[in-house]
Amino acid sequence: MSLRHRIAGRFPRLVIARRNISRAKVRSILAAASILIGVVAIGAIGAGGAAFKQSQLQSIQAQGATSVYVSPGADMEASHFDREDVKAIDETVGAAAVVATEPGSMELITSDGTRDGVSVTYIDDPRQLHEVERGGIPDNWRQSVVVSHEFAADRGVELGERLKLVSETETASGTVETEHTYRVVAVLVESQSFGGGGLFLPIEETGDRQYSRVEVMTESTDRAEAVAEALRDRFNDRKDRLLVFELTSLVRLLKTLVNGINAFLAGLGSISLLVAGVSIANTMLMAVIKRREEIGVLRAVGYGKVDIVRILLVEAVLLGALGSAVGLAIAVVVAMVANALFLGDPFAFTQSALLYLAGAVGFGILTSLLAGAYPAWRAANERPIDALRG
Amino acid sequence: MTWETSDSEGAKPTETARGDRPGDAAGGGDLILRGEDVTKEYQTGTQTVRALKGIDFGIAPSDFVAIVGPSGSGKSTLLNLLGLLDVPTDGAVSLRGQDVSTFSDADRTRKRKRAIGFVFQSFYLIPTLTALENVEMPRMLDKTPVKTRERAKTLLRRVGLGDRLDHYPDELSGGQKQRVAIARSLINDPALLLADEPTGNLDRDTGDEILALFDELRAEEDVAIVTVTHDAYVAEEADRVVNLVDGVIEDAGETAADGGHGA
Repeated sequence: MSLRHRIAGRFPRLVIARRNISRAKVRSILAAASILIGVVAIGAIGAGGAAFKQSQLQSIQAQGATSVYVSPGADMEASHFDREDVKAIDETVGAAAVVATEPGSMELITSDGTRDGVSVTYIDDPRQLHEVERGGIPDNWRQSVVVSHEFAADRGVELGERLKLVSETETASGTVETEHTYRVVAVLVESQSFGGGGLFLPIEETGDRQYSRVEVMTESTDRAEAVAEALRDRFNDRKDRLLVFELTSLVRLLKTLVNGINAFLAGLGSISLLVAGVSIANTMLMAVIKRREEIGVLRAVGYGKVDIVRILLVEAVLLGALGSAVGLAIAVVVAMVANALFLGDPFAFTQSALLYLAGAVGFGILTSLLAGAYPAWRAANERPIDALRG
Repeated sequence: MTWETSDSEGAKPTETARGDRPGDAAGGGDLILRGEDVTKEYQTGTQTVRALKGIDFGIAPSDFVAIVGPSGSGKSTLLNLLGLLDVPTDGAVSLRGQDVSTFSDADRTRKRKRAIGFVFQSFYLIPTLTALENVEMPRMLDKTPVKTRERAKTLLRRVGLGDRLDHYPDELSGGQKQRVAIARSLINDPALLLADEPTGNLDRDTGDEILALFDELRAEEDVAIVTVTHDAYVAEEADRVVNLVDGVIEDAGETAADGGHGA
């Protein structure tokens, strides 16, 4: 008695089902192929979409979604923050870096004499936001300008060049224009950050050392959310003293959007699994009709209805498992291509990608099981003698 | 054994069983299967078809009964009932004194497996299994592969196919296939063998061999055999012929009497 025979003897239904499947090879392969297509559709769409979502999230993160932007709220007496306010914010947010700025705008007088509006950020030290690419910012930074990479590139501004800028101040007697000339001391590195382009001037240049915007930079979108929450708790308990703005709400929106689209596409993919289910049901129905007598014999020699149902369900599930296994392999390859394309690493499977892949397999097998149910039930309820006497 | 149609009024009770062979237990106390006033009706559309109209029967160990009759006379229905594949609409079928209608479907399947073997006209061997595996098939779900294999080998040797264990059905002759089928029907040591046209697909000589095998089984293993047949020579070999016409037993005459069977 061989070991193989002994082991097979422990799983008789599986052995019978496997043998039945290999009897009608082409039919079995076609049925399994239909499941394969469904599994690939769901798995590849789901895992590919997850990779796409991840890449979009990463780029949003790069654009400052890890930061929280704070401005004076409607109920704050002054429309600016002073050093005390910034200190209070700093205490609230803990480890995160706090950068206070005052945005403004000026007009740049270009070499041919025309004027051009530019955005200006007044700041203690631009290095709080970006690193320096060229040049250097003196320790005691006064009366010179630092430009962003984009600004320098767009306008062909070089280090040491002098920029003529005009600022406007509203007074009782009307708008007063003041002309300033600043030497460019540094160019910052390229950044995709939100509001990153433009000029940076020392905060002293505002005259009043007041800030109207504070950026709190954190490590992750989750931290940013927590920081925003803490700020609202502390300052906006009863009054809206701060206007807290974070991109995490945008991230959440994007997640919802991409998840929705992904689920929709995967839903379309599962239609192909539905078709696969029909195909499995058809295959199993053909099989039980073809094996009518054989099933009759099984019933006559003491196989119960439940035994017949179980054998046929195992058969259907084997078909589904076969299709799902090959389908999974293909879907994984597709997902790896998507990972390489969107995330730059073929093995960068996200958790939701893995869930989609596992779900596709589970769904494929479940579909086969359900599709096998009616043929199995029908076969089990055939009257044996009717089947055997024609 | 007995085999009667009950009349609607004043039917003879089955207890009048005649001990027509020494092996029979008087009074039918030792009967394997017993039917009393068995009626079976089918619903086809709005019509009710009475396939069996109140028949009595009793089958004792090592009986050999032949059921004959035109098609549509209720033979299939009777086979269903004898094989515990169905329960009567009226009357009672009992297996060793237990009323079959009290069994659940699973119970009937279990009892059928232990008590009754089936042999068919078209053999119905599974083409992808060897002779040995075909014989093992009824016991496959028992998960006793070693014991089952020993028993299957013994049975195949018993029916004279000890040298054909690993042959597939299409490598066997008709007579050999029927021997495999008989070995299969015996794997669970049944008390009763239901043979549906066992010689229908065989030539006369091969058919005779099968009948001889039946005789051996009856003599050596006390197996009762009930066969549905069209072949006159099979009926002639039987202890008793039941002529089923239109759901009633017409003439329960004896043939060939004790022509050496069961002796």
